[in-house]
Amino acid sequence: MINVLFFGPVVERTGSAALKIEFMPGMTLQILRDELAEKYPRAFEIVSLAAVNGQHVRDFSIPLIDNSEVTFMAKFSGG
Amino acid sequence: MKDAVRIQEEDFSQDEEITALKTSSQRMGGIATFLGCARDFSEGREVSRISFEAYGSMALSEMKQLRLDAIEKFKLLDARIVHRICTVTAGDNIVFIAAGAEHRAPALEACRYMIDELKERVPIWKKEITPEGDAWVSPHP
Repeated sequence: MINVLFFGPVVERTGSAALKIEFMPGMTLQILRDELAEKYPRAFEIVSLAAVNGQHVRDFSIPLIDNSEVTFMAKFSGG
Repeated sequence: MKDAVRIQEEDFSQDEEITALKTSSQRMGGIATFLGCARDFSEGREVSRISFEAYGSMALSEMKQLRLDAIEKFKLLDARIVHRICTVTAGDNIVFIAAGAEHRAPALEACRYMIDELKERVPIWKKEITPEGDAWVSPHP
């Protein structure tokens, strides 16, 4: 399983803070993003950042590993 | 002594943070600080409260790395970063950053670097609660 987390403004558009997505061999971050963007198009209008296991990821072609924690995030506004 | 990098609900004491910073070295000749606090007006609207949400584990990890990056980049003697995650009202403290160096220039530059980088790198979001409704804040300079 891939554990997907959403926070703040993205949760308002997904209606859910956490999802479990079945892991598929060969799954990349881009494939997961595309799958979720189709399901939650309004949420992904504001998603511009992603993290895998708590680390920023800019290359969406990276392969995912089973049981990864993936977060799709809107731009930050702390401080 | 409290950790140099923290995320917490409760308010912080600037005096305590500066005292903790100073205890790390007696070669510290310059300390620069940044205090971010809540405003009652934003984007042309009254703001009643501001609510913060964080991806806690990643936010703390990014803040710790940011402190180390600043120490290395500006040759600081020490640095501290504290961010509150809670709901605040106008005038309340939100974030405190302190940079201590042998001289003022690197302390000032590092302080600016840390707050700017925090806004880019640390997964924290704020929602403004106004009489007209709530709205997540889009980042701005």
